[in-house]
Amino acid sequence: MSGEPILEVKDLTVGFPTDDGVVHAVRGVSYSVAAREVVGIVGESGCGKSVTSMAMMGLLPRTARIGGSIRFRGQELVGAPKKALRALRGSKIAMIFQDPMTAMNPVYTVGWQLGEALRAHSDLSGRAASKRAIELLDLVGIPQPERRAEQYPHEFSGGMRQRAMIAMAISNNPDVIIADEPTTALDVTVQAQVLETLLRLKDEVNAAIILITHDLGVVAGMVDDLKVMYAGRIVESGTVDDIFYRPRMPYTVGLLGSLPSAAGGTDRLTPIKGSPPSLLRLKPGCPFSARCPIVRDECLSVEPELAGVGPGHLAACVATDEVAAMANPKDMFHAPPLVVAGSEADT
Amino acid sequence: MLRFALRRLLIAIPLLVVASILVFVLVVNTGDPLEDMRTNPRIPKGQIALQEHKLGLDQPVTVRYWRWVSKAVHGDFGKDNKDRPVWPQVKRALFVTLRLVLLAQIIAVLIGVTIGVISAVRQYSWFDYAATGISFFLFSMPIVAVAAFLRYIGALRVNEWLGRTKNPLIKVQGDRTFPSKCTPNNPGACGLRAGLYDFATHALLPTLALLLITYAGYSRFQRASMLETLSSDYTRTARAKGITERRVIMRHAFRNSLIPVTTIMALDFGAIIGGAIITETIFEWRGMGRLLIDSINKIDPNILLCWLMITATCVIVFNIIADLLYAVLDPRIRLG
Ligand SMILES: Nc1ncnc2c1ncn2[C@@H]1O[C@H](COP(=O)(O)OP(=O)(O)OP(=O)(O)O)[C@@H](O)[C@H]1O
Ligand SMILES: [Mg+2]
Repeated sequence: MSGEPILEVKDLTVGFPTDDGVVHAVRGVSYSVAAREVVGIVGESGCGKSVTSMAMMGLLPRTARIGGSIRFRGQELVGAPKKALRALRGSKIAMIFQDPMTAMNPVYTVGWQLGEALRAHSDLSGRAASKRAIELLDLVGIPQPERRAEQYPHEFSGGMRQRAMIAMAISNNPDVIIADEPTTALDVTVQAQVLETLLRLKDEVNAAIILITHDLGVVAGMVDDLKVMYAGRIVESGTVDDIFYRPRMPYTVGLLGSLPSAAGGTDRLTPIKGSPPSLLRLKPGCPFSARCPIVRDECLSVEPELAGVGPGHLAACVATDEVAAMANPKDMFHAPPLVVAGSEADT
Repeated sequence: MLRFALRRLLIAIPLLVVASILVFVLVVNTGDPLEDMRTNPRIPKGQIALQEHKLGLDQPVTVRYWRWVSKAVHGDFGKDNKDRPVWPQVKRALFVTLRLVLLAQIIAVLIGVTIGVISAVRQYSWFDYAATGISFFLFSMPIVAVAAFLRYIGALRVNEWLGRTKNPLIKVQGDRTFPSKCTPNNPGACGLRAGLYDFATHALLPTLALLLITYAGYSRFQRASMLETLSSDYTRTARAKGITERRVIMRHAFRNSLIPVTTIMALDFGAIIGGAIITETIFEWRGMGRLLIDSINKIDPNILLCWLMITATCVIVFNIIADLLYAVLDPRIRLG
């Protein structure tokens, strides 16, 4: 995707000191977002997707140790004064959270909460803010917005609450909207509607979107650029086509194999065995090596860097050529690890 | 909201009926008010029978209950064993207790909530550690120890230090100086200011004793409640809006943290009417606690009945208040 980057993340690291040691939740993440671009970030639970976005919002707990750089329109956010971050939060960079059931304060009306977001970054009067709040609710497709604005969150359905959260996110015409699993808590039919609303309004306010999910199916039709995260790092990055049809990192392959719609047709579902490594005490080498079916000796000593495997396509694996040569890479997860090619384990 | 309130009030009626039955059964089985007479060989049987008839003890329990309850609903709680009306005695004790506990309770709530909020917002700061340490210390102290310490050591030292050993400034006995009537011979008891001053010097230590124990619990509870709301999703949303941290804390975290705390406090207010028996005893206040002990010792059924009904009513009323406050503070309840 072309265009000036408005948000640039470089070598971002986040560690949480705990009694048992430092949890390295994000270990050197770099990417950039251009104006109006939709960037998808996928990965298993706990791989650091939320921590990355909370770092951009300046909302990590005080104990978090943040390294690297996050630049918004050239302005450095890491280590920026609280006041500067607060001025950006909710106005230039807005966020939509995963669980609409708990994301709104139960004791205030939805209209009041929207008004609060508006008034945080403007000198609108209370009345003008509630009028604008009603317009915003209308914009995100909530019927009878005047009446709905007077209601409390518990009187809204999950889908409507998430629409209200979208209204809140766009209320100050942000440049970037971070949507952290905005549909995970919703039923499938509502998911599509909410995503459609999000994309429509992104065009309305000309915002870029960072769409975080652990569901590849969600991002397929809507993102320009896709990052796959594993254990606090980006392990593969490219267009949706690159990731879906030309995956080069075994973890990406495994992720696709565990996805019903992306597996396509008659392929069977193959979940990746094992679980992600502890971020507390990472062993040297590739963090995926313990679960990788084509692991080799060098994987246990050096962690591979992201390297180009095609135009705009990056992967962090020593065996990208081998994966590229496979006719059907997904099959590697059918065979037990370390079995030499030829022994097709298709039974 | 009005319907909600009315419904809660209606439920209170059967509750009170049940409470009155339980209370009556309890008191009837507490003991025999004529035991002294019966064990005294010099009192003739006929006189005992007469007394029995006068107190209605010769009637079946149901009849006695009905007689008692039909008068009690009109505020007539009968007479005690010595033929004095019961209600004025209980009323007097009630006011003595209210003077003591209400003030202590209000101050305890204010201090407890404030300290709890600061502790939560500055979690693991020296303030939090100090507040936690002091709270736990006071919380684990038996109130006897605190009250006795204040009376026998605290008061003595302070009065000494003030040079008032002969005419101590801080009083440790009773809830007022006797005689309390304003007469030419006793000008010290005349006027509102003198009355308040007298009350303050008497109330200082027992209030302090109660307050120290109670505030500790509230501050822990408020801290826990506030920590929970501070880490809630809606607080995170509020921060993500870019509003000031002050507003995040006061409008979102603090406002919501009050929901459980307020309920607990309302319930405590209802329960506390029963008196602070230990504090009242140590500082020799003739409040509800003292009255209860005396009437149990003397097996005085009508005083006991009145006492129990008053406290039961207070508990029920404050339960309703707690429910209403909960509904006012949390819109999710209103429809339910
Ligand atoms: N405050 C914290 N203290 C210690 N560890 C933390 C903290 N916040 C997050 N982590 C750890 O950081 C890692 C990444 O968490 P993160 O929330 O970013 O995962 P995620 O990719 O968003 O997962 P999910 O899909 O479940 O939302 C996790 O292992 C988590 O336990
Ligand atoms: Mg997350």
